[in-house]
Amino acid sequence: MATIKRKKKIVRKKVSQTDKLAENSAVSATGSNNGKVRRKRRASAQSMAASQRDISVSEFFAKNRHLLGFDNPRKALLTTIKEAVDNSLDACEEAGILPEIWVHIEPTGTNRFKIGVQDNGPGILKKQIPLIFGKLLYGSKFHRLRQSRGQQGIGISAAGMYGVQTTGKPVKIISKVSIRKPAHYYEIQIDTKINKPKILNGRGDGVDIPPGDKGLKAIAKHGIEWEQQPHGTRVTIELEAKFIRGRGSVDEYLEQTAIANPHVTLHYLDPDDNGRDYQRSTDLLPPEPKEILPHPYGVELGRLATLLTEGESTTLSQFLISSFSRITPGVARRLCRTAELSSRTNTRRVNREQVDALYQAIQTTKISAPSTDCICPIGEELLLGGLHQVVPGEFYTVATRPPSVYRGNPFQIEVALAYGGQAATQNITHDLLLELVEETDARTIRQFLINTFNGLGADGADRIVKSSNLGTRMSPGKLKPKEINKLLEAMKNVNISEGQTMNVMRFANRVPLQFQHAGCAITQTILGTNWRSYGLSQSRGSLPKGPVSVMVHIASVWVPFTSESKEAVANYPEIQKEIRLGLQAVGRKLGMYLRRRLKVKQQSDRREIFLRYLKEVANAVSEVNGVDQTKLYEQLVKVAKKRTAEADMRLDDRGRPIKDKELDLGENVLIVDPTEHQANIQRVKSEA
Amino acid sequence: MAKKKTKIKLSPRDKKTLSRLEGLADRVVNAANSRRDPYVDIPSRTLSNVHYSPRKRILEMGKRTNRRQLFDLSQAKAYMRTMLVSSGCKRLIDQDKTTSLRGLYYMLKHTIEGAKENTFEEQGECDTIIEDVEVLLNSIREELHLYAENRGAMVGNITLMDQGDEINCARMGSGGYAIPSIVEPEVIKLSKNRCDAKFILHVEKGTVWQRFNEDKFWQKHNCILTHGAGQPPRGVRRILHRLHNELSLPVYCVLDNDPWGYYIYSVLKQGSINLAFESQRMAIPDAKYLGLRSIDFQRCNLSNGVKITLSDNDRKRARQIAKYPWFEKKRDWQTEIKKMLRNDFKLEVEALISKDISYVTEEYVPERLKKRDWLD
Repeated sequence: MATIKRKKKIVRKKVSQTDKLAENSAVSATGSNNGKVRRKRRASAQSMAASQRDISVSEFFAKNRHLLGFDNPRKALLTTIKEAVDNSLDACEEAGILPEIWVHIEPTGTNRFKIGVQDNGPGILKKQIPLIFGKLLYGSKFHRLRQSRGQQGIGISAAGMYGVQTTGKPVKIISKVSIRKPAHYYEIQIDTKINKPKILNGRGDGVDIPPGDKGLKAIAKHGIEWEQQPHGTRVTIELEAKFIRGRGSVDEYLEQTAIANPHVTLHYLDPDDNGRDYQRSTDLLPPEPKEILPHPYGVELGRLATLLTEGESTTLSQFLISSFSRITPGVARRLCRTAELSSRTNTRRVNREQVDALYQAIQTTKISAPSTDCICPIGEELLLGGLHQVVPGEFYTVATRPPSVYRGNPFQIEVALAYGGQAATQNITHDLLLELVEETDARTIRQFLINTFNGLGADGADRIVKSSNLGTRMSPGKLKPKEINKLLEAMKNVNISEGQTMNVMRFANRVPLQFQHAGCAITQTILGTNWRSYGLSQSRGSLPKGPVSVMVHIASVWVPFTSESKEAVANYPEIQKEIRLGLQAVGRKLGMYLRRRLKVKQQSDRREIFLRYLKEVANAVSEVNGVDQTKLYEQLVKVAKKRTAEADMRLDDRGRPIKDKELDLGENVLIVDPTEHQANIQRVKSEA
Repeated sequence: MAKKKTKIKLSPRDKKTLSRLEGLADRVVNAANSRRDPYVDIPSRTLSNVHYSPRKRILEMGKRTNRRQLFDLSQAKAYMRTMLVSSGCKRLIDQDKTTSLRGLYYMLKHTIEGAKENTFEEQGECDTIIEDVEVLLNSIREELHLYAENRGAMVGNITLMDQGDEINCARMGSGGYAIPSIVEPEVIKLSKNRCDAKFILHVEKGTVWQRFNEDKFWQKHNCILTHGAGQPPRGVRRILHRLHNELSLPVYCVLDNDPWGYYIYSVLKQGSINLAFESQRMAIPDAKYLGLRSIDFQRCNLSNGVKITLSDNDRKRARQIAKYPWFEKKRDWQTEIKKMLRNDFKLEVEALISKDISYVTEEYVPERLKKRDWLD
């Protein structure tokens, strides 16, 4: 077919060329016609038609990979891991299995990494494997309204496509449904031209690995990586990438995932062979989210028309009741009446104008909000626990908003806040530092500080090294006792939290959002909230300052992202309002806590101030009348002690008596002694 | 220290000041001994604590005091500073030295032991405490051996003794005798026998004073000519007071016709709010206001060019001054201020120069004096 067509084209072209020649000669013969040259067409409709053809989804996204989060090698690494982990979690939860996930990143060359993500999920059927991993826009989540991490079915196959494009290595998948059934092993490439998978191994049919010991041998023989599990899936993708720690890194993603998914165990092996495990803090799976019908308010005109024509032919009222949530026969009747349609009209006979009338009727009729039991928030207790485990701090609080609705889609907002006291570097003991220095394999002090103390960062490490007056390149193992003391002193003196701004963690359906902070409704709402009234300092239009972390989670059947790469939540006023109310709720509790803390501090300050000035007063007085200076000082100190003790006991700063009662912050608050917090010191695993 | 003290002979005034300082210190010791809070009661130096005495015709300080406690978070530092300043003054008196406000500030400024804090950060902090100590001890700045920069000048038919030097104010050239900050009898001695002048003419600024001096006004009219460089400092006010009271010389003022000029006159006559405790020693209730007057624009036929339009601030200030109790009941003053507000412009003394360079010295002031045309 194609060849014939092409021939035809050529013939046509020839014709047109001769035409042009004729025209040209005509023009030249008659001379310029009133001095005007007739503009030649560069191409005709026919010639243009020849190059107009279908674009496959995969081709489109191969060219526009930034839309899916593959803008640069660094982000590509994260997106790949993120898609794989999200899919694994979705699968496990749907099957009712407590997820356990292994993430391995292994460098294979300069800027090349092999990523392996394995879960203990239900596994994938043999015939589905190539489609899921080798075809864009193939999935189960797009057509239903249900809270899940994935939405479109682009992610993992796009990651595979990116891998193939940058390294030429196929995507390797091994999946096992049950301990007794064979595992399936596939090596797949996506054919971008036609958006279809191409299976490379087993003569285009994949390889089956028998269960039991025989299978293990086969796995070893093939060089397949596989953690021994009764069921699950492992996907291995090799891609061009860059591994960078810090903001927007894989580390951060996994950490935040652990916060939002306290029922997940994560085993993470980074390219430098450092292992980090996030153990689950609960054995309770989140309740299974229910699938719901779309709410009429969230349906657009075009979608309404397609629904009408696609569905079975029934009466209009029956159609409304069965395809939307919250439409009762009464509401359906009212809708039809407003649209001036008979409720018994056949859906196939509804014409364009009538659809429009129906659409307008939906907008003007009051329909109750969709049911919100389809949403599964993380839960306050789990959130508190998750945050405490990962973010060092002394004060934690959570607020859950009641579910609400935007454009007919139910959603729910959860906000958690951690206020971190002193950094781990500041309350370390001499003995612990000695131990840590001995354990570490870091080559420089700077590296040792960064690796050992979570949340310190390169900046903080630099400041500590600078104030300790030790060389940046000194090895921690070779420090003399005197130098260790210097380092300890510097660690105690440098205030890490100085100039620190609020750390914002954004989540949508338990997935951390790490990019496009500025464009996200969550960040914008945080910026728009006045944190000064809660005891934090904040300059106009910027994030508040202080050692504080805020996490905001939006759970919805359909999270309105600003782009396919799912990096930012779109700005709906309903969503912003809920976020703001949530932020205010945690803010109020933080404010109460900080005020109380301030008061305690003031009392100890008072004593200090008095003592500081007493010496001056004693000196001055003795100079004037010649009394014994030390004696007077001692006497004044005695009076000061008596006075402050009285003040502490009886009066607060407004002179009112204090009833010595506990600070009542209500529920959902966790206050810990920051000195006991060990999570922020990362020990080298010596016992493993 | 104790040995040094014997070498210096203290004046009775210094002894009085010293005993007051010691009394202040003893109170601290007594409080500490009896386990009570040490405190000082400082007379409050605010408008609300100042009242006009119609009988004495001066401003007087009221009885209200502010308590400053050592064991109060917000006052501890101020208390400590009060004691520091007292000890600084004690040191000055012991050694019979005087120093400037700035000098005392440097004398007392140091880092507090065991803190990253200084006793004083700015001179302003020190200056207010000095004023506190003045009212607290009821001793004026001069008695505490503190002085300010010399400001203001004097020339005229008088000879005085300044720290033993004879100063003939009639032979002071173009610069005049700079009026020192401390003009107490220990420093400057006045004698009736050595004064030929019949009155004092006080002008607002040095430039106008220069005019009068150059024209030898004081020779022709046999007077003393002074200026205070704007708002007169304590030294100028004090010497005017002494000249007026000890030598019975009447004081006439030639000031600008604006609210500022009115207020200078008011301070000379009644005393200022901030230094109300010194009114006794400084105010001259009999001082007369010679000019400039609001009517002078018409009276002297001045040209339009010399007008300066009043600002909002000027108008507000003028209304405030009109309401001062010591102006309120004087009809002449009320018409004067109203006239200026109606004019809606002010006049500087230099405006008279537009008529003739020496108009002010040769015609304006002599005429006023002759006609006894002044405001009281």
